[in-house]
Amino acid sequence: MKKQIAFFVDTRRCIGCFTCAMACKNQYHQPSGVKWRDVHPMSEEIYPHRECAHLTLACNHCEKPTCLEVCPVVAYYKRDEDGVVVHEQEKCIGCGNCIRSCPYGAPKYNPALKKAEKCSFCWQRLDADREPACVQACPTRALQMVDLSNFDEPDTVQYIAGFPRFTKLNPSIRFRPPRQPLEIRRK
Amino acid sequence: MELSLVIFTVLSQISIGLAVMLAVRQWAVSEGTAPSSFRFEWIVIGVALAIALAASLFHLGHPFGSPRAVLHLGSSWLSREIVVMQIFGILVVVALVALWKGSANSWTLVKITALVGLVGLAVSGMVYAPPSFPALNNGVPIIFYGLTAFILGSAFSSYFAGEDKQPLLTQILTISLIVGLVINLILPSIWLSGGRVMQMTGAAYFGSALFWLRLVVEFGLGLAVLGVFRKIPIWLPVLLLAGEIVGRIMFFTHVVHSAVNIGNLY
Repeated sequence: MKKQIAFFVDTRRCIGCFTCAMACKNQYHQPSGVKWRDVHPMSEEIYPHRECAHLTLACNHCEKPTCLEVCPVVAYYKRDEDGVVVHEQEKCIGCGNCIRSCPYGAPKYNPALKKAEKCSFCWQRLDADREPACVQACPTRALQMVDLSNFDEPDTVQYIAGFPRFTKLNPSIRFRPPRQPLEIRRK
Repeated sequence: MELSLVIFTVLSQISIGLAVMLAVRQWAVSEGTAPSSFRFEWIVIGVALAIALAASLFHLGHPFGSPRAVLHLGSSWLSREIVVMQIFGILVVVALVALWKGSANSWTLVKITALVGLVGLAVSGMVYAPPSFPALNNGVPIIFYGLTAFILGSAFSSYFAGEDKQPLLTQILTISLIVGLVINLILPSIWLSGGRVMQMTGAAYFGSALFWLRLVVEFGLGLAVLGVFRKIPIWLPVLLLAGEIVGRIMFFTHVVHSAVNIGNLY
């Protein structure tokens, strides 16, 4: 398998602090309301406990990205060396087709530039042998960068409850599901 | 609210519908030259398409980049839609010139234009059927767009057709409205039995006052009027246009995106 960089989200470690989202904002200074990375609490129907579990999601850099397929001006490309899906904003005409088409809501509309934009896996930092801003910032190492071609962690899934399942796209992301807390009750 | 896309889709489908109805009305005509009375109707088709294409540019963040939007024909339905619509537009102009000159091949051009228009409907429908909208990730947009073209095409065609063609147009409109009513009732019901996101779309439709208003006014009143008068009154196409615009607004605002449900069970 070719090298495919991916995010690995360990929901057992994630404390929902939003540091990853803030690090991304701090790195790229998106306008107000534009978030490339967001932290979603898992609802009570999935994780019915007093403490919450969270999903931190940005772009999944899919094997067959919908954004790339639907873009009429070929503003997206997938890097051969690591599988990162990059959006070339200078080519974008702001048609919104990628925003409408991505089932994960990764591309966002920038109202100031009138163009789409999304998480780029900090490819400039990758090329400088550094981790993406969000991965570097995570205080609990809940968000990590992995290579799917040699990723073999136990208890991990590609589609966790609360994450849309689109097998045709084959999103490059892995999750470690949250552990249900052990409750001991006296009778 | 994607108003520019509402205008683009409705007007382009009126244009296609009028072209199809003109071809259907005269399909049995054996002579090669179209009557000159069709010239005005064909001009209206061209003007509606021109306004539609202009409206589509307002949807873009950078309209001057629109010529590059045909670069991705290999996989982008949007690129294909632009190409097909441009071909339809060119054929409309060529056919208008042929009609104006009374050319012997004007009928052939009219029929070819209508066929290309139908292809345009299908391609246009595919643009709005991405995986992110489970309720629409199928042939539903094509059906909706086809219904708009046939309803509004037959209704507005009555303004231009002679008395001998009015019963045909009334029949086509009646059947289109019946099919439209059935589909608009059945589809949200089907959505309610789908996954969570589809259910949310079905609930949004059934819970919308606009949805029921449209069903009653456009389809209910439209069918009642056609049943009573047995012809298309001059005010009916305007009412149907209002109904189709409401339906298209709902298409762009009430259908739920899959990302809305992240963190919840699908």
